[in-house]
Amino acid sequence: MSTQLLLFQVLNGLGIGMIYFLLSVGLTLIFGLMRFVNFAHGAFYLAAAYIAYAISLAFGSIWWALLIGPLAIAALALVIERLLLRHTYAMPHEAQILITFAVALLFQEIVILIFDPLAKSVPVPASLSGIVFLGPYVYPAYRLAVVAAAAVIAVVLWLVVERTKFGAMLRAGSENAEMVGLLGINVDRVFMAAFALGGALAGLAGVLAAPLRGAEPFMSTEALGIAFVVVVVGGLGTLTGALVGGLLIGLVQSIMSTLWPEAAQLMIYAAMALVLLVRPAGLFGRF
Amino acid sequence: MAGRFPNVATLLVVAALVVMPFVMHTTLATQIVIFATGTLSVTLLLGAVGLLSFGQGLFLGLGAYTCAILLRDHQAGPLTGLVVAMLAGAALALALGALIVRRRGVYFVMLTLAFAQMGYFAMLAFKGVTGGENGLTGLPRTFRVLGLPIESPLSFYVLTTVAFLIVFLLVQRLTASPLGSVLAAIRENEGRSEALGYPVVRYKLAAFTAAGAIAGLAGGLHAVFLGFVPPSDIELEMSQRLLIMAIIGGVGSPAGAFAGSVFYTLVSEALSEIWARWLALIALLLIAIVLFLPGGLWSIGRLVAGRWGGRAGHG
Repeated sequence: MSTQLLLFQVLNGLGIGMIYFLLSVGLTLIFGLMRFVNFAHGAFYLAAAYIAYAISLAFGSIWWALLIGPLAIAALALVIERLLLRHTYAMPHEAQILITFAVALLFQEIVILIFDPLAKSVPVPASLSGIVFLGPYVYPAYRLAVVAAAAVIAVVLWLVVERTKFGAMLRAGSENAEMVGLLGINVDRVFMAAFALGGALAGLAGVLAAPLRGAEPFMSTEALGIAFVVVVVGGLGTLTGALVGGLLIGLVQSIMSTLWPEAAQLMIYAAMALVLLVRPAGLFGRF
Repeated sequence: MAGRFPNVATLLVVAALVVMPFVMHTTLATQIVIFATGTLSVTLLLGAVGLLSFGQGLFLGLGAYTCAILLRDHQAGPLTGLVVAMLAGAALALALGALIVRRRGVYFVMLTLAFAQMGYFAMLAFKGVTGGENGLTGLPRTFRVLGLPIESPLSFYVLTTVAFLIVFLLVQRLTASPLGSVLAAIRENEGRSEALGYPVVRYKLAAFTAAGAIAGLAGGLHAVFLGFVPPSDIELEMSQRLLIMAIIGGVGSPAGAFAGSVFYTLVSEALSEIWARWLALIALLLIAIVLFLPGGLWSIGRLVAGRWGGRAGHG
């Protein structure tokens, strides 16, 4: 592979990696606090992609979906947390996994019921449909915008977690939820907020990814798999882990897709196995 | 809880296996038994050791492809095919298990799902061997096992049922044995079992390997029965289906795997005629079971049996 091509693939990989970061950061955030993995995370992403599709049909572009998508998913997440998950916190962690898995199945079936099983394409917003020159390379403007948006979100999230009172509650809650409760903080409320925030992030990832990969009812499984790889590689429960894991996996996929296209997806998982072998807790893992 | 063996459950399952081909299509009955075999691997892991696997479809798929390739390209008999499918499932489970059983809790669960996805993408990447999206076709449709012809639907059913029964009895025997008690101890309190000196990781790895062998066998049976290997055998959806069957049936007893497969297969057969999105109802049922009936459908049977037993005692 020539250096030119390699550089281009690296650029491409960073772009994919930022989307993977967005996809998995909500998962890692929820785990960090609540110690359970939301198997409906991919389904949140799926639902948001369909919201983007519906809005692009109604308004001709996905702009409104950027606001409505994450908010709608956050609201859904809240309903699920209050209605179902709340009753499982005292149960073994399998209960939360199975409930969120069932919710994911339900979402998939509801999406097929409302739309149909066929893949939908979602248009790129007209103002971002062009290309951008980056030195000698051309890069789709929309992709660049997504990377920029993901970078902004990474910074905002870092500020929220490290510099706000809510972030302090999140961090304290992830160390010792019981103690935080004894200090007079409503942990229940913090759990709700964190689950809604995680949902909103999955929603945002779904809306942003829709113009890139379309919307189809089975995208949730693929997304969940990728998100798991990212958090296993980066280490569960850390923002840095999600970012570095996402970028690394994006790079592996992009570079492998020129070397051995049929196995690009396979290599993502092989990379995960490799990390697992040398660093079982992930690159930045604490657990 | 070390139960007795054989027990009432053994009797009920054997009775059901005898009756099934007379009350439904033989091919449907065969399908139920094959999925019950696959589900046993989930039930064994979750029920006996407390390991939740989202990836047993990986071993089922590997077993199916292995058996199919042996039957088609190497003129192997079905027994050889099934045994090798089992060994392949065990070998892969041993290798992956060595990597992942050390990871506790949700990490283990995520890794089973991730490796199941890896298997699916490996199937796509090596489509010269697996047939990719088209599946692996061209298997012989008639066999001889121990001199007996396997051609009619009923003969396939008998072959499948014998294989299932062997595994079922072994799993029942295992859970009732002292080894089963050690596994239960690990399930209830891993740290304490370790402190008592049990090599916990080795026990978990052994259970994971055995479950891989069982799923591999189920895959082999599926290939022999269908005469081809659909790619769906190794898709994540297969792992999920086995898990759903296990949870609905109940993981407290190996018979739960059978009950789950009977229920799921019959309900899906009946509902899919009426409403294509029947899986939504299964999802709702799954939620209800996790929240209100953690022992699954089989535990209803146990409840009723307990009540009857009580009456008999009074009378």
